[in-house]
Amino acid sequence: MIGVPDVWTFVRFAHVLGAVVWVGGQLTISAVVLPPVRALLGLEQRGEVLKAVGRRFALVTVAVFLPGQITTGALLAARHGVTWESLAQPGYGRVLVAKLLLFAFVMAASTAHGIAQSKGATGRARAASAAALVGSLGIVLLATALVEDGG
Amino acid sequence: MIEEVTLTRRPRRAPVFLWGNVLVLGWLAAAVVLAVGVEPWGLPVWLPLHAFLLGSATTAIVLWSEHFVVTLCRVQGPSDRRLGFGLTAITVLVTAVLVGVVADLTALVALGGTGLAVIATAHTWQLLRWRRAAMSPRFGYLIGFYAVASGALVVGAVLGAGLALGGGWYARVLVAHVHVTLLGWVGLSVLGTLFTLLPTTLGTRMSENTAPQARRSLWVLGTGLVVAVTGVLLDLPPVAAAGLLGYAAGVGLAVVPLVGALRRRRPRGPAAWMVTAGTAWLAVAVAVDAVRLLLVGPVAAVAPVLPVLVVGFAAQVLTGALTWLLPVVLGRGPAEREDVAVVLGHWWRTRLVTANAAVPLVVLLPATGWAVAAVAFGGFAVLALAVAVPVAVRGGVRAVDGPRLGGLVVGVAAVVLAVGFATGGHDRPATSAASRTVDVELDGMRVHPAVVEVPSGTRLVLRVTNREDVRHDLRVDGGPRTPALGKDETADLDVGIVDEELRGWCTVAGHRAAGMTVTIRTAGGHRHGTADSAGEEPDPSPGRVARDARLAPASAETTHRVELHVVEHEVEVAPGHRQRMWTFGGTAPGPALRGRVGDRFEVTLVNDGSIGHSIDFHAGTLAPDGPMRTIEPGERLVYRFTADRPGAWLYHCGTMPMSQHIANGMYGAVVIDPPDLPPVEDEFLLVGSQLYLGEPGSDAQVARIRAGTPDAWAFNGTAAQYDHAPLTATASRRVRFWLVNAGPGDGIAFHVVGGQFDTVYREGARWPTTGAQALDLAPSQGGYVELAFPEAGRYAFVDHDVRHAENGAHGYITVTG
Repeated sequence: MIGVPDVWTFVRFAHVLGAVVWVGGQLTISAVVLPPVRALLGLEQRGEVLKAVGRRFALVTVAVFLPGQITTGALLAARHGVTWESLAQPGYGRVLVAKLLLFAFVMAASTAHGIAQSKGATGRARAASAAALVGSLGIVLLATALVEDGG
Repeated sequence: MIEEVTLTRRPRRAPVFLWGNVLVLGWLAAAVVLAVGVEPWGLPVWLPLHAFLLGSATTAIVLWSEHFVVTLCRVQGPSDRRLGFGLTAITVLVTAVLVGVVADLTALVALGGTGLAVIATAHTWQLLRWRRAAMSPRFGYLIGFYAVASGALVVGAVLGAGLALGGGWYARVLVAHVHVTLLGWVGLSVLGTLFTLLPTTLGTRMSENTAPQARRSLWVLGTGLVVAVTGVLLDLPPVAAAGLLGYAAGVGLAVVPLVGALRRRRPRGPAAWMVTAGTAWLAVAVAVDAVRLLLVGPVAAVAPVLPVLVVGFAAQVLTGALTWLLPVVLGRGPAEREDVAVVLGHWWRTRLVTANAAVPLVVLLPATGWAVAAVAFGGFAVLALAVAVPVAVRGGVRAVDGPRLGGLVVGVAAVVLAVGFATGGHDRPATSAASRTVDVELDGMRVHPAVVEVPSGTRLVLRVTNREDVRHDLRVDGGPRTPALGKDETADLDVGIVDEELRGWCTVAGHRAAGMTVTIRTAGGHRHGTADSAGEEPDPSPGRVARDARLAPASAETTHRVELHVVEHEVEVAPGHRQRMWTFGGTAPGPALRGRVGDRFEVTLVNDGSIGHSIDFHAGTLAPDGPMRTIEPGERLVYRFTADRPGAWLYHCGTMPMSQHIANGMYGAVVIDPPDLPPVEDEFLLVGSQLYLGEPGSDAQVARIRAGTPDAWAFNGTAAQYDHAPLTATASRRVRFWLVNAGPGDGIAFHVVGGQFDTVYREGARWPTTGAQALDLAPSQGGYVELAFPEAGRYAFVDHDVRHAENGAHGYITVTG
């Protein structure tokens, strides 16, 4: 059923847009930006470019993405009638909890990536970014399940 | 000297050989994924087991045995095209078997099994030809091992296909199949290879007497295996145990030169450790198998041995061997080989410890054990695929980004955990629906009962018990299933709310085809509605006789003395559905009493039940205080009344809550003939009632009684019983139906399809009627109708509240001319 767009349509739009930009951004950087940067730039330039990209992504994450997703997410949950008790129930509640846990995991991995990168531990940084990317895809998967369940 | 160079002298870099190894690893990864999916997706354990043994191990054995024979015995190998064709065929056929068993497509399983047997036969034939052509007879024993192993695969495939087809001899064939394939095909292939492989991985030489020792051990191993399998098939446990001990002795003989090699050099790298540990598990498993076979019988013996052989022996030896062999295949030159070896050696100590810790766990705590094994071997599969796939695709070794790979694995693990958590628990709304627990037994390759019928909307729990040695489980459409159950183990299977017909089956390969299925049906719906629908119904239990609806004439006595015992008794309340009822005299309704106006009745009520009961005869009048009092179990009372008025009267238990006592079967009829009752050809008595399934007095049943939502409606206590055993009458002759509505709550509109009543007697009033279509009776009312059937045929009689008729208040009268 398609209703007249109301304020909730825009909240949902903002939430989906945030996810699209963040997960899509990670994928784009890993799959589109990094390979040519590695191939074309010298070691020093490469480091600078990647550092700049990383910083900007981190800034967007902390300043826009995190507050935006948490706010819109909480609003949508309240709108959907999610209560603290229902989080323990199988079905919608459990999927939402799983998604939040995975989100926490991804944020932890991203933070670990930033710390490792700033310390120059490139191995750990790569491991953390790979884990964060796969985790983000998992979040999208669970979000799809929520849409299916929530109707 | 020879052996250090032989395995690396002619590294095969043909693409088909690379892809063959990728296939081996792909099957291994698939097996790991499927093993992880056993719990959440409800897959049969059979599936990952065969993805590994039939997919990964078999492909590896075919590929590498051929390579070793060509390299060591210096014979002309098959062309790449032929090898490619063989590997493709194996992959397709194995896939066919796996899909066929899971999807219950017997023809596909038979096709796959037969195809594999044909390929194994061709492989054996090829090996025997090479034996004659071998340039280096020193390694002739190797061809011998592989040929016997390959012959075992032929037998194993035939036995396996036999299993998948179901049928008798299941247990014996199963045990024979396990032994032939694991000890024959996998075991002999591995042992034959170890004579050269183990010294090589240890970096030591093959001793001089290895070849003669190998030949001797092959004889002992082969003979032992043949005796063991023959013993199993003929159900002679001592013979089978002797054969296994022979096989164990063969393993001992084969291990002697290997132990010598181990003495000269302790294992250092991952390959040597894994191969050594794997061989040790083989020896342990065979010895335990032999002893347990004598003590507990073949089927019980093989149950714990199978996972040990798969995880401890087969998977570990395969992993160890590939750790050693893949660098040779994948790397060009020593530097690349070293790179590959480094990747394959990542975390090998952890993986070694994990894999061997998994072996006892798969026996003691299967779920945990398989998960641990999946971690150990899944880790290897990921590493090996990460290095092998780029080589196969691009033709060169690419540095594996270890940290990134680790990050990916951690990410995937996190997602799998999250999805597992999200989908965990039963995704069913909390509900106040009535629940029922039904006992189900698995025995003789059958599910007893084969049909479970519950009211629509019931939450059904099956309490499943396996009664035989063969392991079984039970899975219901849509996912819920029990774990694999050993003998006399029980598990509850929560089917959830049943609102449509469901099928259930044992997921062990072949058991479904053999007939291990159960149907869960909902009572209600359309099944009793039309005249032609009787064929859809479950049949009554064999030997069940419908209650005789014919009403005998009143006896000449004027005083009727009756003793009624209250008995809690199992009664068939609907075709194929039995349940415990509270009864007067063992039947529901209780016995019919008949007399004339003025007759005296002396009824002695004896309470043989487990709670208090009473009786209330509507046919007489008296002060209820004494005769209608509740008596406790073991007590008795005498109820005397005189039948002053004619009619069809109800009697029932009057103990509160009366609704439960009546609903559970404590009712009956007293017929008092009116003085001027004309004789008729046939006279029937039908007592109408509502049926509430479930344990009498249980919360769920009581809730439905209070809500007035019966599971079925019945004439004379059993739904639809006269659909199966029609009443009989003669055309044009007068027939009288006496009716009493016992309730507890619903009215009756008695109608005969195709007939009209010319006389209606209701509650003492004989209506002057020119024709009536239904006799309506409120709960506790009674009367009779009379009619003459116009012609021969099959007439239905129904409660014309058609909701009742469609759910059991229905029967037939066969009228002959």
